Amino acid sequence: MAASANAAASESIADRTVVITRELNAPVRIVFEAMSKPEHVIKWFGPVGWPLTKCDMDFRVGGKFSFAMTGPNGVQNTPFGGTYREIVPNKRIVYDNGFEIEGAGRMVHTIILEEKGEKTSLTFSTLFDTVAMRNEHVGMGFVVGVNSGFDQLNDLVDTMARSAGRKG
Amino acid sequence: MLQSGQQLDLVFAALADPTRRAILARLSAGEATVNELVEPFDLSQPTISKHLKVLEGAGLVSRGREAQFRPVRLNAAPLETAAHWIGDYRRFWEESFDRLDAYASELHRKEKNHGRKRKRSSK
Repeated sequence: MAASANAAASESIADRTVVITRELNAPVRIVFEAMSKPEHVIKWFGPVGWPLTKCDMDFRVGGKFSFAMTGPNGVQNTPFGGTYREIVPNKRIVYDNGFEIEGAGRMVHTIILEEKGEKTSLTFSTLFDTVAMRNEHVGMGFVVGVNSGFDQLNDLVDTMARSAGRKG
Repeated sequence: MLQSGQQLDLVFAALADPTRRAILARLSAGEATVNELVEPFDLSQPTISKHLKVLEGAGLVSRGREAQFRPVRLNAAPLETAAHWIGDYRRFWEESFDRLDAYASELHRKEKNHGRKRKRSSK
């Protein structure tokens, strides 16, 4: 981890951050509620086809969470989780996150909620340990590194996984 | 399942070379010996072996036990993991927030309905 700590020290926060903003069609207190209890989180967290099959949450500052998703192949993926660092009801949640594997990279998520009448504006920012980790997660590192399109790789990987699956 | 960042580093590094991608594409059609892999490429056997070592290190191929032929096989599992990770930070959260939007709207609707029922029953 020393290498990544050194890298992080010399890399700007902006270069290690990815921000997503959304407007949600419900009041802020409902959105906060939906984020703060496992029985709600399990209903929306993760991409379609990758449901949470482990959803432990101790939703208070210093409390831990641990999630795992199960993919279309029915195998539960490596759990990931972290600690809630800040919770300001209806306004702000900050927590760290990463795979529960020795040496896995960490990220810090900051959720900012703003009331817009009956709607909520959501800002979700992620600070990665290193620029390399950020690029790995948004795919850019690979694309720039090999000068090859994403879709191409996706197609290749899909084709290979499919044809290997057929044989297996 | 190999899934740490370091493992992904190895997988992506292995995929970042056209010869290695071509080897994987060839192996997706079925296992092959090193000699069979040398043929279509204008490369020496030691060079191909070096590439195979990188692929093996990333868990993308495995070698048979038969000392003489040692057929090389594709292992698809790390590719699936890589496919799942590729560019999918945004996809992951955007899909999650789509679902959150739908779910929070539904909660809001239910709350309004309950509120109405409560008001009715209190009369």
